[in-house]
Amino acid sequence: MKKTVKLVINGETHILEVEHRRTLLEVIRDDLRLTGTKKMCGQGECGSCTVLMDGLAVNACLVLALDADGKRIETIEGLAQDGKLHPIQEAFIEKGAIQCGFCAPGMILTTKALLAKNPSPTEVEIKTAIAGNFCRCTGYARIVDAIQSAAVRLRGE
Amino acid sequence: MEELFFVGKDIPRVDARTKATGEAIYTVDLAFPNMLWGQMLRSPHPHAKILNIDTSRAERLSGVKVVITGRETPFVFGVSHMDQTPLQTEKVRYVGDPVAAVAAVDLDTAEEALSLIKVDYEPLPAVFDPEEAMKEGAPIIHEGKLRNIAANPIYNIGDVEAAFKEADDVFEDRFETQRVAHVCPEPHNCVAVWDHSGKLTFYYCSQMPSVSRVQLSKAFGIPESKIRVVTNNVGGGFGSRATSKFPMDFVAIVLAKKSGRPVKIECTRAEEFIWTTFRHKFIMTVKTGIKKDGTITGRHITNICDNGAYCDYGPVVTNVGGAMQGTLYRFMNYRYDGYTVYTNLPYGGAMRGIGNPQVHFAGEAQLNMIAHRLGMDPLELRLKNAVRTGDETASGAVLKSCGLTECLEGVANKIGWKGKRANPKPNRGVGIACGVHFTGVRLSPGIDADFAGATMVVNDDGSVNLATSCVDIGSGSSTALTQIAAETLGIEMEKINTIFGDTETCPMGWGSRASRNTAIGGMAVKKAAEDARAQILKAAGEKMEVHPDDLGIRNSTVFVKSAPSRSMSVADVVRFNRYRKNGQAVMAKAHWDAPSTLADKVTGRGNFSMAFSFGAKAIEVEVDPGTGQMNIIEVAAAQDLGKAINPLGAIGQIEGGVHMGLGFAMSEEIVLDEVGRMRNNYLLDYRMPTALDMPPVSSILVETDDPIGPFGAKGVGEMAIISTPDALMAAVYDAVGVWIPDLPITPEKILLALKKKKAAEKAG
Repeated sequence: MKKTVKLVINGETHILEVEHRRTLLEVIRDDLRLTGTKKMCGQGECGSCTVLMDGLAVNACLVLALDADGKRIETIEGLAQDGKLHPIQEAFIEKGAIQCGFCAPGMILTTKALLAKNPSPTEVEIKTAIAGNFCRCTGYARIVDAIQSAAVRLRGE
Repeated sequence: MEELFFVGKDIPRVDARTKATGEAIYTVDLAFPNMLWGQMLRSPHPHAKILNIDTSRAERLSGVKVVITGRETPFVFGVSHMDQTPLQTEKVRYVGDPVAAVAAVDLDTAEEALSLIKVDYEPLPAVFDPEEAMKEGAPIIHEGKLRNIAANPIYNIGDVEAAFKEADDVFEDRFETQRVAHVCPEPHNCVAVWDHSGKLTFYYCSQMPSVSRVQLSKAFGIPESKIRVVTNNVGGGFGSRATSKFPMDFVAIVLAKKSGRPVKIECTRAEEFIWTTFRHKFIMTVKTGIKKDGTITGRHITNICDNGAYCDYGPVVTNVGGAMQGTLYRFMNYRYDGYTVYTNLPYGGAMRGIGNPQVHFAGEAQLNMIAHRLGMDPLELRLKNAVRTGDETASGAVLKSCGLTECLEGVANKIGWKGKRANPKPNRGVGIACGVHFTGVRLSPGIDADFAGATMVVNDDGSVNLATSCVDIGSGSSTALTQIAAETLGIEMEKINTIFGDTETCPMGWGSRASRNTAIGGMAVKKAAEDARAQILKAAGEKMEVHPDDLGIRNSTVFVKSAPSRSMSVADVVRFNRYRKNGQAVMAKAHWDAPSTLADKVTGRGNFSMAFSFGAKAIEVEVDPGTGQMNIIEVAAAQDLGKAINPLGAIGQIEGGVHMGLGFAMSEEIVLDEVGRMRNNYLLDYRMPTALDMPPVSSILVETDDPIGPFGAKGVGEMAIISTPDALMAAVYDAVGVWIPDLPITPEKILLALKKKKAAEKAG
């Protein structure tokens, strides 16, 4: 059974006919081909498919596309504006927070949601925020460092 | 030493921008028009004869395009032993052995089709324990392999029995390590595409695409030139993608051929855990002779590797730890007996360190136990026996650079070794361990080669296209190689475009394994860059009427050394060189074979690697004796990497290695049920350390300037994981007085050991 949904993704409105059981992740990756959103597990355990839904970080694999109807979705493709990277992306690049890069999109969006709510997070608050985002390469230290640096940049210090 | 402009600098990765924006394409992101989805039917039995396979109902299902069985995949493959076929025809050897496959318009249809295939099996007696499998009368898994022993790598150097006689004490202890998974973030996947010219394009997240091409060419009987293997960005490899081939690869290619459409196969996370290989389980006995003054006289290690149903890298994995344990301390009497034993279980493969982390765990754990038994300081005991630059070790390794002592002293200082041991706090302890790993390796029997390739073109505008055989699986090798090219050429990094992973545009190499990209790949790049530089200087010399020896290049400008104001841009030189009569292009290539040697067939001795990376780790832990819970206060990790081409990247490798090492040490384990099905095939149940679980890690880079590697560099990635569990085990003992000789070290095991200890104290 299909139903019409309106998804506002990175500011662009998509009216789509979606099978009711399809997830937001499947629609983003397979239908709209926004492959920056990654799938490591598809079971809500790894955080690699994190997108922002009305500003809140969610696992796109655990959200039915129909439940995203009318919602404002932000994926990694929407972060850089006018050819300029977002300060969080810059921080991740400069601080060596990216290795294989598969977790990076989810990690960066989780960071964006965290810093919107808490512009000056402590180390423990940062680690708690990304505890649901798995990284197999870095050991997390450079990622925590990058998030601290991104917080400073966004506060304009 | 000459001033360096790119090498040795904390330069952000060349691929970081596209990875941060989501633009970087991984194989799993690919989709093609008309693409079908492939799926494999796997055996529910650990060991059974296949009596009949009926695919007729599956073939009739709407949306199913092709159904195949083993008759359509008659390819024998393997890494060290050709013991595997993609789809089984005679019998299955583990739960999960593939027997049939389908390609359908979507995954749901493919899965439904699998449920319609009927396979009749006749179960056979199975064996799940390698020690049982080695006994006379155990079920035979592969015909002709007596006692199920697939391989028996041996090192027999000096006279270990005489060494034990010479010793004041001889200790023997048993250790076990568990199966752990690579957990590559990008699941294993591939897409096969045939065209009507007979050409196969195989998109495959491989650590060694050019080797894959050779294997596919042999299997399918088509020229290598008609096969293009493409590896995009790779979402982690850690050895799992160094496997020659998986059944799914052959199956995807056959399904694509038969359907005439692109076919993709992608593992789910649950499949990824267990069916894309993992770190083998080892059962090890270590016997060590030692004198009163702490001099180790000799060592004998026996290692039983639970291979699982097929070999993959198993024999190599069994071998490597043996070679490396003969490369760490100065004793010259050494015996290693490795047994690679088939069982009716899923099979392991290469994983970061390729067997060395396991054998090092046993060797280093026992050395800590011996230090305690003899009342010696484990640090002093190590320093007394540590190998040094110039040594030729028991294994035959010739150490042209060795920073083992500096690594040990570095981590001891960082953790506050002396002070903390002199003033112990209750339930707190410190532990230390060290190790060594190779930089590329010549251990594969019969193949006397360990090489990488690079090609380089300098364009009209002075920019550079560099193609390397080294796939950047996330380690940062493309960045390091670009730094090496920039430094050698005198051309800025941003003008150099480094590509890898396409057999149509990149030279052949042994691929990304054995910690070899920066050093061996780096030497190929350096040689190609030196050639290109010489071509530029020759042309510039003609134009400027100066001898090339009096020319240098910096910031893309060729200048006269004796008169630096006389200069011309590299771009102008390239154009001058090309657009004239009998002109030339600036193009260079290099194929660099590491100066190592194959092992002696009898003793196992040989200088098997171009360089050896040493390392040490010290860990401070607090253990709650009421719960067994461990709180790691700090990890200090030192590594002798010769020269850090990119310190930021090297530290990232070390921190990531410690993370993987701590998972191996304390939480990760593939738990199998009685027939070999994985019980915890979910990320949350598998329990990798999260950001919250990670303690502070201090990395110490020890630069020993290796005489062979590019700018003195040696390998980094694999040594980073080694020694972590060994140091933790000693720290736990120092904290609460119990040894946990089988990994992982869990709170449950600590509690049980504490209970046992209390009972023994009461009784005694």
